[in-house]
Amino acid sequence: MKVKAPNGEIVDLLTVNLGPSHPATHGTLRLFTALDGENVVGAVCEMGFLHRGFEKMVEQGTYSQVLPYTDRLNYCSAMINNIAFCKAVEKMFAIQITERCMVLRVVLMELSRIIDHMVCVCTNLVDLGALTNFWYFFNTRELVYKIWEKLCGARLTNTVTRIGGMYRDTYPGFEGDVADVLVKIEKAIAEVRGLIERNKIFIQRTKDIGAVSAADAISFGWTGPCLRASGVDRDIRKDDPYYGYETYQFDTVIGTTGDTFDRIMVRLYEMIESVGLVRQALGKLKPGPVNSADARLSLPSRDQVYHDMEALINSFKLVYEGVRPPAGECYDYVEAANGELGFQITSDGGTNPYRIKVRPPCLTQWAAFGDMLEGHMVADLASALGSINIIAGELDR
Amino acid sequence: MIATHERPPMQPGLGKDQLATLLSERFALARDPRDLWDLTLVVTVARLREVVTALRDDPALHFDQLLDISGLDYLAYPNHRGPRFAAIYNFKSTVFRHRLKLKIEIEEDALDVPSLHDLYKIANWQEREAFDQLGIIFTGHPNLKRLLNHHEFVGHPLRKDYPCQKRQKLSINDPLIDQLEARLVAKGYTIIDRGVVTQPLKASQSEKASQLQGAAK
Repeated sequence: MKVKAPNGEIVDLLTVNLGPSHPATHGTLRLFTALDGENVVGAVCEMGFLHRGFEKMVEQGTYSQVLPYTDRLNYCSAMINNIAFCKAVEKMFAIQITERCMVLRVVLMELSRIIDHMVCVCTNLVDLGALTNFWYFFNTRELVYKIWEKLCGARLTNTVTRIGGMYRDTYPGFEGDVADVLVKIEKAIAEVRGLIERNKIFIQRTKDIGAVSAADAISFGWTGPCLRASGVDRDIRKDDPYYGYETYQFDTVIGTTGDTFDRIMVRLYEMIESVGLVRQALGKLKPGPVNSADARLSLPSRDQVYHDMEALINSFKLVYEGVRPPAGECYDYVEAANGELGFQITSDGGTNPYRIKVRPPCLTQWAAFGDMLEGHMVADLASALGSINIIAGELDR
Repeated sequence: MIATHERPPMQPGLGKDQLATLLSERFALARDPRDLWDLTLVVTVARLREVVTALRDDPALHFDQLLDISGLDYLAYPNHRGPRFAAIYNFKSTVFRHRLKLKIEIEEDALDVPSLHDLYKIANWQEREAFDQLGIIFTGHPNLKRLLNHHEFVGHPLRKDYPCQKRQKLSINDPLIDQLEARLVAKGYTIIDRGVVTQPLKASQSEKASQLQGAAK
């Protein structure tokens, strides 16, 4: 394509498709670029290659049947999605989940946040050619998956929560396993930090690449680590605490320039904070029931079902019809690994959700990606794209 | 560079009742009775831009983030009276703790809603999604294309009368060249020669390709 640049020069631009299937996109994302040599002059993004119609599918089943679908939103931290959805439905019922369930959910969420950040940081580094970090993080991530496997039988798509509680209580020795893995996570973080923090190649590939100003990040609706990397100190766990986050000691990590370097570092340091959070939560994990005693949500015990007519009917209704939140429209959110994950649920009082709208955190980042890339070089695409952590499952729903 | 600093406490902002009173006095907005948990105010389509601009620019409100636009079809909602469609705009502030949702009700025969793409950068994509899924038309939008579905897709899947099991055959990629050219023009470039623009496959070719795919299954 022949164009006249703003400075009057005639340039011959080459238009190139990067993706939808490209090793650096880690998913199906398409970027259409106009290149002047190695420089990106214009870039437009396309999405929807992994669109499954999540929001249409969930209208066909009951509230409990939505849970396995939420696993498949951000599959790097499936438990956070489970918890976010259950939390939204529990808000509609206005019930308080049990103390043990709350602490357990914090443990699971923070561990999920760690493995999510691990995938993001180390695949980002692989794109830059730093393969060793990948082994350090993926080996440790595997240990967390071993715990998931022991906890619920599934590794990637856990479906571990239930509305009003958990699928089941932890297995004996859970606390010990988690405490052991935390030590290994800390070691892995220290090793990766040692490899990259003062690494000249890494710094040259990431400093001032894909910088997003605080004003732009806010206008693009960014939340989570990417917003904090741009210097806006906002974290739902601090600003609007849920599950007792106000009682935990942790810091938010913020960047200053919002470039790729900052985004990677914010994630890396947040993992250290999350390790501290899991330790504190393990200290608070006291024995007790994990499921709410509310008969509208939780199955009665087997003993009651066999000896009590009311409990039998209740069990039957819950299994065949599921829960029925009051009619209305409710929005609830958590701080997921990528930012604010929200569910806007419309209920008509029936057993199936009337409408569920997901607020996916990475959509806002992908919308800004064209702007981020223009003026940089093709090779910067890989480093900038990895740092905003686009998860196609969540992006395209 | 990663900075360490004393974290300033987040300002509490206005409570939801205060916010409701303030905004109902200023703009005569009513609370949406369907939202039993938080604050949703109903605004008319005609006043949407005026209210949103005030929400964003008033230093005491400072709603500087548009989190989401969630479209809704009330066709199958029991005992629903009123317009068929609605859209919920979800706002958040980075300075105050308060949050707010605005709801517009959209008649089936008047689907036009003013676009907010110049107020919030993200509105561009969120409006494209609402258009794609429910067919709400955002007037003044620079590029009202489908976002999640294929550009050849017919219909709007989240409308309640769109059958869940319906299948459509979609094959030709969106060339995206129009968007790229618009972007270059916006940056001050003048297009002199388009060069060779790849033409989409002819119908006969794409049919042949899908037949081959069918045979492979």
